Amino acid sequence: MAEHQSRQLQFSGSGGEYFRIWIVNVCLSIVTLGVYSAWAKVKRNQYFYRHTTLAGAGFDYHGDPKAILKGRIVAFLLFAFYTLVGEFDRVAGLAILLVIVSVMPWLLMRSLRFRMHNTSYRGLRFAFHGSTGAAYFNFLLLPVLSALTLGALWPLAQQRMARYTRENSTYGNEFFKFFAGSGAYYRIYLMTIFIGVLVFAGLMASVMLLGSKELIPVEAEQLVAMSVLVAAIGTYLALFLLAYPYVAARLQNLVWNSTQLGPHGFQAQLQAREMLGIMLGNVLLTLLTLGLYKPFADIRLARYRIERVALLPRGSIDEFVAGLQTNTSAAGEEMAEMFDFDIAL
Amino acid sequence: MWLTAVYYDGRQARPHPVTLCVEGEKLLLQGRDIVRREALASLKIPPPLGSTPRLILFADGARCEVADRQGFAEMLQDAGSSAVAGMENSWWYALAALLLTLSLLVVAYLFGLPYAARAAADQVPVYLLERMDTQFFASLDQTLLKPSTLSAKRRQTIQDGWQRLALPPGEDRSANIEFRASPALGANAFALPGGSVLLLDDLVSLASNDQEILAVLAHEMGHVHEKHALRQMLQASVIGLAMAWYIGDVSSLLAVAPTVLLETRYSRDFERRADAFAAELLRANGIPVSRLADILEKLEAAHQTAVAKQPVESVEAMDYLSSHPNTEERIKRLRGL
Ligand SMILES: [Zn+2]
Repeated sequence: MAEHQSRQLQFSGSGGEYFRIWIVNVCLSIVTLGVYSAWAKVKRNQYFYRHTTLAGAGFDYHGDPKAILKGRIVAFLLFAFYTLVGEFDRVAGLAILLVIVSVMPWLLMRSLRFRMHNTSYRGLRFAFHGSTGAAYFNFLLLPVLSALTLGALWPLAQQRMARYTRENSTYGNEFFKFFAGSGAYYRIYLMTIFIGVLVFAGLMASVMLLGSKELIPVEAEQLVAMSVLVAAIGTYLALFLLAYPYVAARLQNLVWNSTQLGPHGFQAQLQAREMLGIMLGNVLLTLLTLGLYKPFADIRLARYRIERVALLPRGSIDEFVAGLQTNTSAAGEEMAEMFDFDIAL
Repeated sequence: MWLTAVYYDGRQARPHPVTLCVEGEKLLLQGRDIVRREALASLKIPPPLGSTPRLILFADGARCEVADRQGFAEMLQDAGSSAVAGMENSWWYALAALLLTLSLLVVAYLFGLPYAARAAADQVPVYLLERMDTQFFASLDQTLLKPSTLSAKRRQTIQDGWQRLALPPGEDRSANIEFRASPALGANAFALPGGSVLLLDDLVSLASNDQEILAVLAHEMGHVHEKHALRQMLQASVIGLAMAWYIGDVSSLLAVAPTVLLETRYSRDFERRADAFAAELLRANGIPVSRLADILEKLEAAHQTAVAKQPVESVEAMDYLSSHPNTEERIKRLRGL
């Protein structure tokens, strides 16, 4: 098969246009006491999907607002119940949380099904075929194990989750393939830790140096404690600010560069530095504008994340054919979002 | 009129360049190797969405994407268009929606939320409230709060004085007093959601006589009586929830709950009602209402010296005055009673 030219994903959404759609839908959602928010969500997804194009054709979203509304109501009740009970009685709150956590893998699996099934490109649907058992293994057992090992297994868990989501996904009747090993995940996190150690050592050394030359007013016996404190706070801030964009950019690159769809490959080239600039700018501007910048921020981040991904076609991409259709419910997706679960897709 | 479009048959990813035209009640689609003639009523035409392409969805899963939105609207006479889609396209509607949203949020914050919190507070069972206070002390004892250094006898005297007060009709139990010391909080007293009153040592030593302490306790009991702390807490957690939802981080919320209790600034209205409650209680027990004004003045003076002495610390520590605003106005009103 001949190697074809790489095809960049394009994003044509604009902040001003999305702002109008966003504010009108926020307003309608408030006026209808939240009921319209399900329709707003569908429109939001459609806006982003339809503005994302590959080789001249756009993606589309087909979620049914009524299914999403049902999911939202269930999720809202559970969440409100959990927060209110947790406020009064921590033990009961914990029990509810435990129940929620134990159904979460199933919900995540349903959520993936709903999202994939309702995504289309060139008139063909995506789909997700992952089993419930594997969902419990990947989304519950592995994270619990990595918590028990103080995070030592987290990169492995993340690799397994990515593999589960990718290898069970199809476009038309073609399966995605995923071939990143856990070693690559460990490298990303080790690098993060290494940077943290460097920052810590650097800060501590400079405080010690400044202190010993009496450039900062500290007594000799307190100097070590002071330098450790400054280094710890500095490292915490640095990791907090830098680690998230760094890990996010690296993971997206890793996942896409290790994914194949049939014979076709992908390529992602996100830069941690650029990602950091966009994320910091977004947070600052959103805070400064009391939230009004949010739609512009969403567009900006989406454009960056989308346009840095390309398809590397080997052969024609016209040849995909439709697969079998499955039925899905939206409850999973809403619950997963409500509890802030994020799976790198 | 003809319109160019891209057609996907829903079975294969291959794009077909086609032309569309409307013939009566039917849509005619023609491409190099396809011809479709479908009744317009059988097609799904989603409303326009920003500058995204217009779509025609066929019942069998096939679809058409039309980049020319203008031509599409003309040919299909705005089929699928909705009022909302029109609003989303106009800056004027966006501005109106923005103003309406902001005013609705303000109305909900000023009226809806207090009303809902009051209704919800009445529904919370007493045993849950008492458990909340236990948890409050469990999380703040040893950190912000230290054991009281008052002698057991002194505490007993205050307790006895408080128990002897005749309660207003309808109030069957007097608030439970908890003695603590707290260098960070200074001279202060708090009404907790479960009905306990937290009395700090510095306030006891600041008072010239026990009637002033009783006056403060009566004021705090006014807060307890109307469940101000609980209502405030419910309001704060709803706002916190809304913010977390908007910003998208729930975890940050869970950590701050206990300390928020101390940081709540009561509204003017809550203070007025607690003062009125205290005035009534004091008068019924033959204690001059001016005792409350006296201790308030002392607290204000103590607060100002604290600010002058340790500007940094007093910013961190939420003291009696910042959780009880408008002191001067209150003193004046109490003196007038
Ligand atoms: Zn008060």
